[in-house]
Amino acid sequence: MFLRIEKGSAVPISRQIADQIATLCASGLLRPGERLPSVRELARELAVNQNTILRVYERLVGEGLLEMRHGQGTFVAARAKRGQLAVHRERLVDELRQIARQAVGLGLTSDELHELLAEAHDGVEQPLSATSNEEHTS
Amino acid sequence: MNEPAIDLQAVYKSFRRTEVLRGVTLRVERGKTFAFIGRNASGKTTTIRMLLGLLKRDDGSIRVLGLDPAREPLELRRRVGYLAEDQTMYGWMQVGEILRFVAPFYSTWDHDLALKYVRDFELPIATKIKHLSKGQNVRLGLVLALAHRPELVILDDPALGLDPIMRKQFNRDLITHLQGEGRTVFYSSHLLYEVEPVADEVAILDEGRIVRQADTESLRRDVKQVILSREAFDAVRGQLCVLDERSDGERMVVAIERAESAIERLGREGVEHRVVNLNLDEIFEAYVVGRRDGEMAEAKTQAELQPS
Repeated sequence: MFLRIEKGSAVPISRQIADQIATLCASGLLRPGERLPSVRELARELAVNQNTILRVYERLVGEGLLEMRHGQGTFVAARAKRGQLAVHRERLVDELRQIARQAVGLGLTSDELHELLAEAHDGVEQPLSATSNEEHTS
Repeated sequence: MNEPAIDLQAVYKSFRRTEVLRGVTLRVERGKTFAFIGRNASGKTTTIRMLLGLLKRDDGSIRVLGLDPAREPLELRRRVGYLAEDQTMYGWMQVGEILRFVAPFYSTWDHDLALKYVRDFELPIATKIKHLSKGQNVRLGLVLALAHRPELVILDDPALGLDPIMRKQFNRDLITHLQGEGRTVFYSSHLLYEVEPVADEVAILDEGRIVRQADTESLRRDVKQVILSREAFDAVRGQLCVLDERSDGERMVVAIERAESAIERLGREGVEHRVVNLNLDEIFEAYVVGRRDGEMAEAKTQAELQPS
């Protein structure tokens, strides 16, 4: 599991980790039933406080995305709740609103903004689902 | 074990006429990793030296592991691991030699543990200390501070002079070998963004006083920047806990404490505003160089704008 911590960001580290795990689940890179690194392992790997990792895991368990099995570790929930998607969507809408505000500040028209967004969308490769398919078939 | 690992109450210290500590009060619970943050010369090292009984306080009380460092410094140092700032060790000794040299000072010294750390830290046992890199030196200092299994570890700016790779490695060492084993760690630093991933709690020392003690996430929730019109700011100023205010004419950019309730109030009263999340360095800056006096802030900005 590859996570990237941005130090000095205005986004708290626990939030960065939680968001990235949620994204990995949503994109299928982490599949239902898959085991996550232990709190200790992930803390060491990321050089992040163990309590922080534990709190993130607990929060994601609370949100229904992960589940803790006693004595076995932490896993992606077999049926990650659809509600999780809604949370994601809300964050995305939030970010889009900020982008729209910046665009207005730069004097872009709605059409110009749409065009830029479409371009950005086309520029995003879609390797996430592709890799997970490959892994399925191999 | 409810007694805190470190408890300072209104500690004062002056050197000749210079007052270095002006009523430092702070409390470190057992098992926590606690970062002590301040600019250079803000009093961090003075505080640390007092915790170990290496300096006497002028006033106030200090308890470390339930002991008064001024009265029982030797007993205390047996139970505390200490890494001094820029610790100098005998350069002519080999790594293995200094371990054997230091061991007899501690009744609880565990030589097997010392050798395990040396292996974990990939230290060359037969190399002379003067030939170690800066990072290896810090790690050797850690071995010496940890091999007697102290309950409390006090590190004075251990990351000073380490490059980013070594700093990350050091953070890993801290997490694996100290947090992982449930020890209390008290360490100083001047880099807030470096301690954020590691520390449970931080205290910010400025001009000899603790201006804030909190866990990092609460700190981020509690301190935010608000942007609003000067007119609106003048109307609500009395209700805000302002750390720093700056203006660019019509707009005010204000860093505030107790942001959650303040922002709620602004919303309720229909004051148009924008909220910006701050990173820890910005929060630190708001506390230590914050200007609460609008005129001074302007004077400063103008001075900065003047071509020199």
